[in-house]
Amino acid sequence: MGVKVHFLLEDLLVEAPVGTPLLVIAVGAGADITFGCRTCSCGTCRVRIAEGLDHCSEASPEERDFLAGLDAPPDQRLACQVVVQGDVAIEYLGL
Amino acid sequence: MTTLATLLRDKVLLLDGGMGTQIFARKPTVEDYGGAALEGCVDLLTERRPQWIRDIHEGYFRAGADAVETNTFGANPLVLGEFGLADKARALNVQAASLAKEVARSFDRPRFVLGSVGPGTKLITLGHVTYATLLASYRVQMDGLLEGGVDAILIETCQDLGQIKVAVRAAKEAMAAAKRRVPLWVQATVETTGTLLVGSEIGAVLASVEPLGLDVLGLNCATGPDEMHAHLQTLAETSPFALSCLPNAGLPLNVDGQVAYPLGPEAFAGKVLHAASEFGLAIVGGCCGTTPEHIRALAPGVERLSPPKRAPKLERSAASLYQAVTLRQEPAPLIVGERTNANGSKKFRDLLAAEDWDGLVGIAREQQREGAHLLDLCVAYVGRDEVRDMDALLSRLVTQVTLPLMIDSTEVPVLERALQLAPGKCVVNSINLEDGEGKARRILELCRTYGAAVVALTIDERGMAKTRDEKLAVARRLHALAVGEYGFDPGDLILDPLTFTLGSGDEAFRGSAVETLEALRLIKAELPGVRTLLGVSNVSFGLNPAARHVLNALMLYHAVQHGLDLAIFNSSKVIPVAKIDPEDRRIVEDLLFDRRREGYDPLKAILARFSDRKAAAAEDRRADLPVLERLHRDILDGDKQAILADVDAALRDHDPLKLINEVLLGAMKVVGERFGSGEMQLPFVLESAEAMKAAIRRIEPHLPKEADYQKGRILLATVKGDVHDIGKNLVDIILSNNGFEVRNLGIKQPIEAILKALADWPADAIGLSGLLVKSTVVMKENLHFMEEQGHRIPVILGGAALTRDYVEGDCRRAYPGPVFYAEDAFEGLRQMQQIVSGEPLVAAPAPAADAAGGIKILRRGGASIPLTEAGQSSWVRHEDPPPEPPFWGVRELADAPVDLFAHLDEFALIRTRWGYSQGRLDDAAFAAVLREKAEPQLAAWKARLAAEPLLAPKARYGYFPARAAGDALRIFDPAEPDRPLATLAFPRQAAGRRLCLTDFFRADRTDVLALQLVTLGQPAADHAKRLYEAHAYADYFAFHGLATELTEAYAERLHARIRRELGIHGKDLPGRALFAQGYQGSRYSFGYPACPDLHGNGAILDLLKGEAIGVTLTETAQMDPEYTTSALVAWHPQARYFSA
Repeated sequence: MGVKVHFLLEDLLVEAPVGTPLLVIAVGAGADITFGCRTCSCGTCRVRIAEGLDHCSEASPEERDFLAGLDAPPDQRLACQVVVQGDVAIEYLGL
Repeated sequence: MTTLATLLRDKVLLLDGGMGTQIFARKPTVEDYGGAALEGCVDLLTERRPQWIRDIHEGYFRAGADAVETNTFGANPLVLGEFGLADKARALNVQAASLAKEVARSFDRPRFVLGSVGPGTKLITLGHVTYATLLASYRVQMDGLLEGGVDAILIETCQDLGQIKVAVRAAKEAMAAAKRRVPLWVQATVETTGTLLVGSEIGAVLASVEPLGLDVLGLNCATGPDEMHAHLQTLAETSPFALSCLPNAGLPLNVDGQVAYPLGPEAFAGKVLHAASEFGLAIVGGCCGTTPEHIRALAPGVERLSPPKRAPKLERSAASLYQAVTLRQEPAPLIVGERTNANGSKKFRDLLAAEDWDGLVGIAREQQREGAHLLDLCVAYVGRDEVRDMDALLSRLVTQVTLPLMIDSTEVPVLERALQLAPGKCVVNSINLEDGEGKARRILELCRTYGAAVVALTIDERGMAKTRDEKLAVARRLHALAVGEYGFDPGDLILDPLTFTLGSGDEAFRGSAVETLEALRLIKAELPGVRTLLGVSNVSFGLNPAARHVLNALMLYHAVQHGLDLAIFNSSKVIPVAKIDPEDRRIVEDLLFDRRREGYDPLKAILARFSDRKAAAAEDRRADLPVLERLHRDILDGDKQAILADVDAALRDHDPLKLINEVLLGAMKVVGERFGSGEMQLPFVLESAEAMKAAIRRIEPHLPKEADYQKGRILLATVKGDVHDIGKNLVDIILSNNGFEVRNLGIKQPIEAILKALADWPADAIGLSGLLVKSTVVMKENLHFMEEQGHRIPVILGGAALTRDYVEGDCRRAYPGPVFYAEDAFEGLRQMQQIVSGEPLVAAPAPAADAAGGIKILRRGGASIPLTEAGQSSWVRHEDPPPEPPFWGVRELADAPVDLFAHLDEFALIRTRWGYSQGRLDDAAFAAVLREKAEPQLAAWKARLAAEPLLAPKARYGYFPARAAGDALRIFDPAEPDRPLATLAFPRQAAGRRLCLTDFFRADRTDVLALQLVTLGQPAADHAKRLYEAHAYADYFAFHGLATELTEAYAERLHARIRRELGIHGKDLPGRALFAQGYQGSRYSFGYPACPDLHGNGAILDLLKGEAIGVTLTETAQMDPEYTTSALVAWHPQARYFSA
């Protein structure tokens, strides 16, 4: 079963297997999202999950604490940490 | 009409320079003072030689000052009293103020007069003068200044936190009496020691005066402008008040017995203007050694400054004489020590009865050592005079204890006495509404007068609130009173929803813990910003100590989950929840949450279960354990001291080889499992490895010659073009302490060198490491090369940019031998064990058909953005002209080593670099790890780096004319803007926004490019190497992570300076958000996605002359020494990180 990931900035629509990390999808499809440390500590890949927040893997305590430190609203995630379980729409915030 | 306040909104205000300097230049004689007994009474000269004072004021106004200070520095009855002139105080102030006003009015443009109030000659904090006497003395001065018509009160040259608070109160009371409100300024004097004379940090000063409400808080005297930077920085980032700075003309020198100041007018002006733009100063001027010439030199530059925009963020705190402690600790809770309390501690009560004041101070200091953040202080003891006892104890305590105080009394006079004696910002414990609002109002009034936070209990006329709704309702009333009526910041209101004992079995209180926990949640949700507090141990009154400890720990744990900020608690008795026996936890939580069932009462179960248990039974019966068990525990605990003795003991009866293979490696296996399951954090793992190393070294001499406990061999290397050492070294540490022989070839290893090493030292596997994205490609190329050379040896790959899919797909297809992906060192260990086991290896390539990982592009909408004629992305708009840098060319940072810790990203350090990740620990257990391990570790490093010269930070930066030309950036000579110095090329995105780094620079005109280079110097790199070679794994790993983050901190610090100098710092975000590009523009380092080619470092080093600070380039374009980083800084608002 595939999931559909919609990168809103460039209207890029991608299909990927359920359970694929968003990082792999974004890099694989050439989406315009910049990844820095890829280890949940720089915040470069912060995105807003415009649709399908429930379809994202739960945040690890590290990601939760990192985002809390930025006072980020609940629909924001770090793209390097999200595993996609269903259809989502992604807005990159690092512009 | 222009007032001082309106002028402050429009411009940076220029004050005068030194008054004393000008007076002494006139060489006053005994006659000028009016007699030998009055010699030195400078304040008297206003009366005796008014023309001098007029001339001095006029000189400063003519030099361009917007305001001057009255000649009243010591004009209060206490100081004048030393000349027998106490009675003249009021008149002298009136006269000095009106004289200065008269001069001010003779000028056309608005000129102002500030009433100067000096620190006097007696330190209240050291008990030289009483509160009432000092207050009365200042009141006379303030009344006189206001009567004489001053435009502001300036309490200056403050050396004593206690004195500031008294003077501020006197000023406010005088203004209220005169019905005239003028701006109230305070200027502290930070000595070269970094604190006020009495030892207060500037943060403690801010926390203590902030609740009093000022208009301006700044610094004057003691040092020149440069020495003030760190403190100005603190105030710039945190103070809500306008910031002033009146430095001396440098640090005073003794020249032939005369005091001399080194900075002339131009040098002084340059430094002050620099500080003004760097820190957002609203007011500048001079102090000792400065003259009208200094002010004249400042004037044109000050005119050009625009009013500063700062975005200060003040975390609510309490403060002692010495330091501020934020009322929100991470991890929660803030611990309030409970043993300095006559109601809570028998020992304290006994010492109080014996009036053993030193013994009482000793209890306070003990709690400080045990990790309390705040001390609850209560001296109420039946039959004793509580005011007198508070006085006697507090006057000793305030200078001897660095923790802020929570003053615990029900008596208003006791609270007031304590608030007068404690110089910092106290917390008052407490108010309630038991007898209505009357008493609560009196106490709130006191808190406002003295600037204290307050604890409020949810008790009203009906008694103690028991249900969550009652608790919330009372909390709302308390909030309306304190915040609504008395103007408290919500962060200074600490609500205590009350804890009742569950130990009595009283039916009415069976559900009380649940009500309290839910009330915490409701209060935090409904009353944003307030803090919460509980006297946690009340929950277990009546139970035996063993049961109490468990119940207290679990109540604390759940309370924190529900929003508890502060806990009154005996910090030495906190047991980590993770260490509680699961069955104990189950029944105690049943009690906490009142989970009774037919035939089951958790209270009875607890009474039975704990009846014969002693508290802290876990207290070591270590010595009784069999020696092999002890060894096992030594490894798990990472106890490298104990393990040596235990190894010696074990060697008497046990085979050395068996000790290694069965006991020690067995214990390391458990370490690996715990790491894998997330129960154990990396720093603990490294301590275990150190203990292992110590044990093996102890055992090795006892091994028979032929004995080989090594299981296999691996060659390790970081691949070509990559300098990242740490991941590979971790693998080395883990493998070599788990029975494998490791040859670590180091960094930047071409495959040819690795294969040559293999020929010399046949191994069972090769491990390749690398952090860069580029290294993942190099690894695949290496595998190709090995394939061509006919190798089949197993290869293990690891590194941050690798993915399992890439290794098990692309890399396995490139090489016919087994290829493994190791996510961490322990996965590498398991693979090594598999490789040497002789069992067939399963390492088939992932299906090739799925090369794209099943990723299919369904639609790529929107055409790519077109390029402009100049070949730039049209997505980037060039609307604003480039900012003007304050200079062109290169400068070295001349500052004394900056406090890099102030800019440290602690999250990145602790959570990522140091590897404290939560894993499967619950929040409280992880919070305990952070509190008990990570934070003390950071504090210890901080102290160590302050004491030892392990860092030698240096930096250079510069501004260059630059111009974009397509994908190239041309950089010109600042001295000859037509002469090109360098051209750098950057990659451009193939589609989409089609960005290239050059797009953030103008192609049609000259733009400004900032370059920066920071290093921690050779000593830091040497130290890391020493630690690694000495097998001090945990220290090595910790130091490396810290040094890496401190390098980043230094880079951010310099980048912040560049933003300020370019005037684009207005968008800087406060706090942690700053680290996630929370600013205008961007700082690009070579090797990252927008500019991946490391060779750009060479250009930066050439342009900034990196060799001047000892930075050179290696043949692979990395910078040496380690802990060095460079960057290109773009100012453009759209410049962000991107991937090309």
